[in-house]
This record gives sequence, C-alpha cells and structure tokens, in this order.
Amino acid sequence: MPVHVSAAVAGRVGRRPEGLIDLLVEVGDRALDLAGRKPVDLLLVGAMAAGALGETENLVPQLADRLNLEGASGVRVDAASASGAAVFHTAVQELAAGRAVRALVLAGEKMTSQPVAEVTRVLARSLAPSEQAAGASMPALAALVAQRYTSRFGSDPAAFDAVTVQFRRSAQGNPNAQFPTPVSREEVASSRVIASPLRLLHCSAISDGAAAVVLERGTGPATVLGIGQGLDALALVDRTELTSFKASRTAAQRAYEDAHLTRKEVDFAELHDAFAPFALVDLEDMGFCGAGEAAAWFLDGSTGPDGRFPVNPSGGLLGRGHPVGASGLLQLVEVARQLRGESGSLALPRPPKIGLAQSIGGLGTHVFVTLLGAGSGEVAG
Amino acid sequence: MSEPNGLLVNGCTNCHSRYLPRPGRCPRCGSDRVSPLRIPARATVLAATELSVAPAGFATPHRLALLEASDGVRILAVARGPLPALGSVVNVMRDADVYLVVDEGTPVASPKPP
Ligand SMILES: [Zn+2]
Repeated sequence: MPVHVSAAVAGRVGRRPEGLIDLLVEVGDRALDLAGRKPVDLLLVGAMAAGALGETENLVPQLADRLNLEGASGVRVDAASASGAAVFHTAVQELAAGRAVRALVLAGEKMTSQPVAEVTRVLARSLAPSEQAAGASMPALAALVAQRYTSRFGSDPAAFDAVTVQFRRSAQGNPNAQFPTPVSREEVASSRVIASPLRLLHCSAISDGAAAVVLERGTGPATVLGIGQGLDALALVDRTELTSFKASRTAAQRAYEDAHLTRKEVDFAELHDAFAPFALVDLEDMGFCGAGEAAAWFLDGSTGPDGRFPVNPSGGLLGRGHPVGASGLLQLVEVARQLRGESGSLALPRPPKIGLAQSIGGLGTHVFVTLLGAGSGEVAG
Repeated sequence: MSEPNGLLVNGCTNCHSRYLPRPGRCPRCGSDRVSPLRIPARATVLAATELSVAPAGFATPHRLALLEASDGVRILAVARGPLPALGSVVNVMRDADVYLVVDEGTPVASPKPP
C-alpha cells in the first residue's frame, strides 16, 4: 500500500527559547493545519536525548494532550542522531501494513539549555563503551575518519572547506536555517580547531529545532518510493573500513531495492553532513560517485543547486543546524517540499522528480535512507 | 616503557581475527571459540587528533590516536604526550580500561595542518 507525504513543516533551527514540547507542538499544529485537520490515528515522535538534554519524558501523551490527539496511538522512536528518519520509517511501515490511515510524525531536539561539555558528553554516549572511556567525542572520531580519507585518497583537504562554503551559501535561502550567512574558504580554514583537522566551521552546531510531516495512504508528488536501514560495528576499531560507512551502503542498497530504482534515477539528495568530511563519504556511500571521487565533485561545484547532482540544497546540517533527533525529519521535509514545489527560493533550477535523504545515527552505526518521488510507489516496508 | 609481555588480545579460533578483549563472541564471525593471547605492544599510527573540546570530565587539550598493531588489531589510545605523527610506530600500554601511547620510538611531530 503506497504512502505519501501530504504535509511537511520545518521549524526554525537555532537557539530557541522554547522547550522541546513547545517546539514539537508548533510544527505539529502547522502540519495538522496543512493537512486540513483530517483525523490522525497515529502519533509518532522521534528524539535522541529528550530526557538528558530536553529535560522531558513521556513524549507521546504530552504531545497528544497539546495537539488534541488522545484518540490516536503512538510511540517514541529513537535511533540517536537518525531518530527523525527512524520515526518516519516506522510511520511508513505502519501505514503500509494497513495498521493506520494517517500519521502525524514529529521529531525534535532541545540542546542549547546545557553547557557544551555536557552536550558533548551526552552525544558521546552513542559511542562504544571503550571509546567513551578514552574520552572520545563525535568530532574526535569524525576527525580520525577525515584523516584516513585524506591519506587514503590523497584528496585535497580544501574539499572539506568547500563543503561548508557550499552548504552555508545554500542556507542563505532557507528561512529556518541557523546559519543563513555565507562563509569563505579562508574563513572555514582559519576557524578554530575543534578536533584536528576538523575546525569549528567543519562541524555542525548545537541546535534546537523540530519538524513535522503528515503521512497518509495513497500517492502524491512526495510518495515514499523506498526505505532502507543498515547497522555497523559499534566501535570504530571493529570496522572493516574507515573511509566509508558500511551502514550507509547497506541502507542505500536496501532503499534502492525497495524502490526498484537505481542511483541514476535520483535527482538530488539531502545527506548527513554532521561534519564536512561526511558529505564526501556520504556521496560515495550512496553510490553517486566512486570511492575517493567526492572531493572533486565538491571542489568543482557539481554538487551545487545548479550542478549535475545537487546535494543539500537546504543548507544541510552545517547550514541549517543540527538538532540531532530532528535532523533526519528536517531532511525529509526538505526533500518532500522540493518534490511538492513548496521550496520557494530553495527550489532547484531543474525541478526534481526523485529525491534521497540519508540520516546517520551515532558515528555511522545506524543509517536510514529514504527515497521520495512522484508516482505509485509500493513500499515493501 | 611498554607492556613487557605484550598486549593481551582475543583471538578467534574460527575466523582467526584478533581484537582487543571485549565480552561476548567474536565481533567478526560470532564464534564463541575465542581465546586470549599476547601480541607485541607496538602499533602504527593510522590517525591522530587533538581535541580542544572534550566530553565533560576530560581535560583539554585531549589527544587520541587510532593505532594498528600486529594481526590487524586496531586500538583507540589516549596520547598524553605530543600528538604522534601519522605513520609513526609507538608503544602502547593498557591502564585500567584505557590504552595509552606511552612513548615515541620514532620521531614525533604534529600532523600536517589541513
Ligand atoms: Zn571470528
């Protein structure tokens, strides 16, 4: 049974005065309005650290209470920084299986009320116990991956700077972006070091934000064509590859198979650029270019909005901000809005028919890939 | 200073992979035929990073190195001295549940800036 996105709302990302529940209610209310206030029988919520960072729990009843959805069923879904994509996938599976008719899918994170070192520690809880014991953080392990990538492929490290420059330029047109101001390569390359070789402007920010979609049975311009997820060894030292995420490759392969599509039919993508080097790894893992080739794509503009394969026309995590549990759903909102012709100044010059979203949980340990497009998609789920 | 008797690792008698001790079955093949053995406590630096922001409870700058010892055993180790150079060979020791880069047998320099 096909499932499509009938309403898609992104909240403003940044330092917000509201708490997590208020952030979610705001986008949920707008999505229900856009969907014509038709009855919703499924309420699913994604968040990574609602308790530790957002200081709230029991999300579904709290939101049902505020959104007058006590008649629905629901659960909270967690897949670390991919929670927003995971909750979308869960809703698709429930609808495709015929267990619900219309779902309100919410995802959000409240991060800015805690000190940076505490946020870093909470996010690092996603890592392997041995990595936490060594004092590793997400940026630290991303830095190690970035170094391996540069050494293995001999790629120009300036490609990482080019990623940030491109996404910050795109974010200028995104009214919800935390960083709507452009930066130069020189500014990126001279920003302060966070985890060498990664600098501040290579790293996504600590952000508050939320997104909402209404999913319902049937087809439309943003029909779910395929979904797939993948897992990998928890610790970096147990991975067979250090310059590619196996979980991403597995998720992409499963999504393409589910959709009966190949990468060549995809017109654009929203990729998980929590760190600038990830954009390169992601582009390769999704199959859009070969191993080690992505640096050239970002350096020569191939991934810009008017390039041969647009990546993150919304500004990505680097431009939009990265409210961890919300980012996966924010990406899907952007893909759906491109397909639905609702992107305003972010609209791609060549109107796309099929878009891909990729969301990474943990340090490449749990990845969700979604394909949306016009048509009569049959989702195996 | 190093581990005089070598580093304790797990060896899988089914797939022959070797890895740092951890509870449970072999992470590669799922076999429970795993036995302890020792390898030389020297490793090559695959990557190394210096953190200016560390998780709460860790002083900064905090330095980490991704190492490869013999038989493909990979180790995430804390470097309390200078950041070891990529490709250099270092000694490793275990201190409670953390591995440490304990000295630098080959010249040490900061990695090239990006
Ligand atoms: Zn084995």
